[in-house]
Amino acid sequence: MLPKQDYYALLGVGRNASQEEIKRAYFEAAQKLHPDKNTAAGETELFLGVQQAYEVLSNPKRRTQYDATLPPEEKLKLPYEHKILYSRPNLVHLDESQMLYFILSLEAPAEARASPSPPLNVSLVLDRSTSMQGEKMDVVKATAIQVLRNLRSQDILSVVTFSDRAEVIIPASYHQEKARLEAKIQMIQPSGATEIYQGLEAGAKEVIRSIDSNRINHIILLTDGHTYGDEQQCLALASKLAERGIGISGMGIGQEWNDIFLDVLSTRTGGSSAYIAHPQDIKSLLLAKFDALAKTYAEDITLDTKFIENVELTYAFRLQPDSSPIALGENTLHLGTILQDNPTQIIFEYIIHPKAVKSEALTIMDGTLKVAIASQVMPVPPLRLRLTRPVSETPEMDPPPPQIVQALSRLMLYRMQERARKEAEKGNIETATRQLQTLASNLLTQGERSLAQTILLEVEHMQMENSLTIEGSKKIKYGTRSLINAPSKKELIQ
Amino acid sequence: MIICTNCQHKNVAGAMFCAECGAQLDGVDTLITQAITDEQIAEELRKEPTRPEPASTPVNSWISLHLMDSGKILPLASRNEFTLGRLSEGQPIMPDIDLTPYQAYASGVSRLHAVVKRDANRVMVMDLGSSNGTYLNGRRINPHVEESLSHGDIVALGKLKIQVLLRNI
Repeated sequence: MLPKQDYYALLGVGRNASQEEIKRAYFEAAQKLHPDKNTAAGETELFLGVQQAYEVLSNPKRRTQYDATLPPEEKLKLPYEHKILYSRPNLVHLDESQMLYFILSLEAPAEARASPSPPLNVSLVLDRSTSMQGEKMDVVKATAIQVLRNLRSQDILSVVTFSDRAEVIIPASYHQEKARLEAKIQMIQPSGATEIYQGLEAGAKEVIRSIDSNRINHIILLTDGHTYGDEQQCLALASKLAERGIGISGMGIGQEWNDIFLDVLSTRTGGSSAYIAHPQDIKSLLLAKFDALAKTYAEDITLDTKFIENVELTYAFRLQPDSSPIALGENTLHLGTILQDNPTQIIFEYIIHPKAVKSEALTIMDGTLKVAIASQVMPVPPLRLRLTRPVSETPEMDPPPPQIVQALSRLMLYRMQERARKEAEKGNIETATRQLQTLASNLLTQGERSLAQTILLEVEHMQMENSLTIEGSKKIKYGTRSLINAPSKKELIQ
Repeated sequence: MIICTNCQHKNVAGAMFCAECGAQLDGVDTLITQAITDEQIAEELRKEPTRPEPASTPVNSWISLHLMDSGKILPLASRNEFTLGRLSEGQPIMPDIDLTPYQAYASGVSRLHAVVKRDANRVMVMDLGSSNGTYLNGRRINPHVEESLSHGDIVALGKLKIQVLLRNI
């Protein structure tokens, strides 16, 4: 357990935080927790604690006195476990760039498995555009009703539909009279165009109305179409939601939807996108999503990294529980959630330029990891992640850890698909063809015959039409992505 | 920089899989076929076969490969052509007969080493441009040239000695 009043944890800053950082953290916390604004029970007490923390820490003399009373930082018990696994033990003095991988694993403690799952605050945002007509709409309605029936008394659910405008079918609240609400869902009629921003905004409003750090605050967006012109608005909203710890999961049905957009949208919040090839799969995937949400131990994992010259983070990917790329490009990375019974693993790829490798050791990442644990009232102290590798003259000949080899051998397939798709979009059909054929033969050696077949069919099509089909490219993308956390077919046979 | 042995793509040092073809790059030395000198091979071939010739072969196979060091016999049927080599992880090359379990790597067998095939009246072996060569009864054969095989011939893929057992002598 934490010491009763860890001022640093209350403000969510590290022990080494500067006065500037402490001040900023205080303003942020105060804005959120001020008695005029806060909604949840216990937040006023937290606000008083934050004020007290700021009074002490903003005064250098009192801060030094206070620091002396604290147990050493290493002994600080975090309510989760973290592990780092590197692709190789050291860097090498080289006059060319070099690559380094590591897997960051985050795991809930064993006792968390038995703990009750946190209450949900979820908004189901459903596309009801004309194209949803028929089986898709029927299954979506039936599933929404199922979700409603499965709801526990402590869960909050809202249901929003959208076409070119949004409608709140069920406002966010606890639900007693389920039968009446079921009828409202039954009455949803498909018509109109797809404007995702309309739906997303309405869903966000519903979630924010009952936002509570002790709940899992989440939006599930279900669509089957392209949105036009409002992409930037959607992304800006996603960034705002991410700041407030609200995740977005995107689910695309059929072929027409824009998977690249939905990926960008959901990964901004640390969420992921999923592909639903057939309407009959809607139910199982959506119910599985609710199950996963109810098993959340920690959410809104963020990693703030400091810029290190000539050290470049080139790729990050969450291997499990839900495999998804991690959005790069901002200083704060949203890494997703930790489930109660399944460790979260993220692989990072760094390119280190020769100018950086000068001394005996090099820090490749200097960052702060923050998580929010819904079942704990006290904020979790941030974890300083400072990853340093020794630099030697000759490379280490030890083989890399099997876990990394295994992960990369799967991720490599996904990335070949990414590259081929980019080449095809640029019109480099020959390059894309070669890359897809290589991908297919790699899949064959791993025993993935049907996916390899899909790719070869797609290549044939590309030869004639000079482009990939929207259906094929989704199948290949989500097919290779789902391999990442699936057991290898070859291993299963052995 | 690591040059992919499969497609010659130049990868950044420390990369583990080729960015171009997806082949595994780590421990590059294990993926290169081990170099063996001609003297070593000649010496191996001078040694007498240590195991007796097997008594019989299954009737439905047109050729059986008797791996002389392990004594194992692989009967081959159903097709008229089999490529011999060694499977290596992450490589999109698949020989029909993977000799990895028979010390293929240590014996200097290439990933795609040789092919055995038959037509209406004879059985042949052809080297596929392997690193350490294919030997027929101690004589190195030219790559990509078919050589006739008779029952009891000894074919060596690098140092891996295989006795050819034909059904109809």
